[in-house]
Amino acid sequence: MKFLIQIFLVFVAAGLNAQDFFYISWNPQIPTSETQWISDAATSSFKVGYRAFPGNSNRFSIGVDVNATTFAQYLPTETFVSGNNTLTTDYFNYIYQYGFTASGQYYWPLGEGEHFFPYAGIGLGANFNEYTRYYNIYDETDNNWGFLVRPEVGMLVRFGGRRAPGILAGVHYDWSTNRSEQFNYENFSALGFQLGVVLFNR
Amino acid sequence: MKSVKHILLASLFLGLLVGCQPEPDEQKLLDELVVSTNVDEAADFSSYRTYALPTDTIGFVSDTDPNDSILFHPRSNYPRPVLQQIESNLNARGFTRVDRNDNPDIGVNVYVVNNLNLFQSVYYPNYYYPYYYGYSSFYYYPYVNTYVYNTGALVIEIIDLNDINPQNQVKVVWNAYMGDIYSTFSLIQQSTEAIDQAFVQSPYLSTGL
Repeated sequence: MKFLIQIFLVFVAAGLNAQDFFYISWNPQIPTSETQWISDAATSSFKVGYRAFPGNSNRFSIGVDVNATTFAQYLPTETFVSGNNTLTTDYFNYIYQYGFTASGQYYWPLGEGEHFFPYAGIGLGANFNEYTRYYNIYDETDNNWGFLVRPEVGMLVRFGGRRAPGILAGVHYDWSTNRSEQFNYENFSALGFQLGVVLFNR
Repeated sequence: MKSVKHILLASLFLGLLVGCQPEPDEQKLLDELVVSTNVDEAADFSSYRTYALPTDTIGFVSDTDPNDSILFHPRSNYPRPVLQQIESNLNARGFTRVDRNDNPDIGVNVYVVNNLNLFQSVYYPNYYYPYYYGYSSFYYYPYVNTYVYNTGALVIEIIDLNDINPQNQVKVVWNAYMGDIYSTFSLIQQSTEAIDQAFVQSPYLSTGL
């Protein structure tokens, strides 16, 4: 985890263009797989990232993104039978999800190309999921890494000139190979929305 | 300088992202005890009619103290409602309470376990309950416990007193573990509700009459 963060910071420190920017966004997600485990939307979710525009282009950027999302759901009292053992409890299912991607985006500047930049892109990287079931003071945990693919579309809005702050809004779909044998969780996918602020590099 | 500020801000945010792991609401987590029951599937509960149960006294077993002790009324207000709830459930299932000297078919052990670690494996506990029946020890049928750690549990055991081996050992045919009793909002209410649940999820525990 720390190694990936260091890679992110090195990339950021390099800085390629005056148009490069940081963003910090709120990133609610809705699980689209294994919804019998968790189906509720996650609102405790944030994403940060960096976009660098190689050369003088305002059409193409490359970047890195890191997100942290907590999926949680309460399930009412249920009885489980296993052999000669019977267990009754209510419980919470949690997934602590951390995604790390390297990404590329293509922009279509609208109008005179100063303020509105719709874009489409794709990110590839790693996803770390920690699955936890809480019941009373007890908990069971499983975690693993997987490969993450993240296509996205959105809009970059710049206030004022090229170096002015702005807004980043978009939709993305996360699909990863993470699975948990302990909880019979086969793969992970979620639909995400992001709304954030953009801070330019210089 | 702005780049340095942005890097520091991003670093701080990333640290918060990675460090924060929200957990469930404690009130919701602790408002019910977890109830786990285990049964010897070879036991025929319809063949039992009478049982013996301590009055106003339950055991206290702790792995921090080599000497087992007891909780008794009126020094503790816990044993009486617990034992009354067990008696009520057994009577409702057709069993009749008798004195321990009247050759009951089954005996009921009730105790609190303090800081006992339970593992996800076959478990063979061996407790000595000095206040009960004078038997030296009793063996358990093996079972798998799903808890990794338990700080305080209320335990009920039903012992077949008609099946005593040459070593003077008796067999546990049913048990219930309810916890954590140290993290409750209403200890007695949650304990009695858990006792009811233990019997609800054990429909075989009946004389059939």
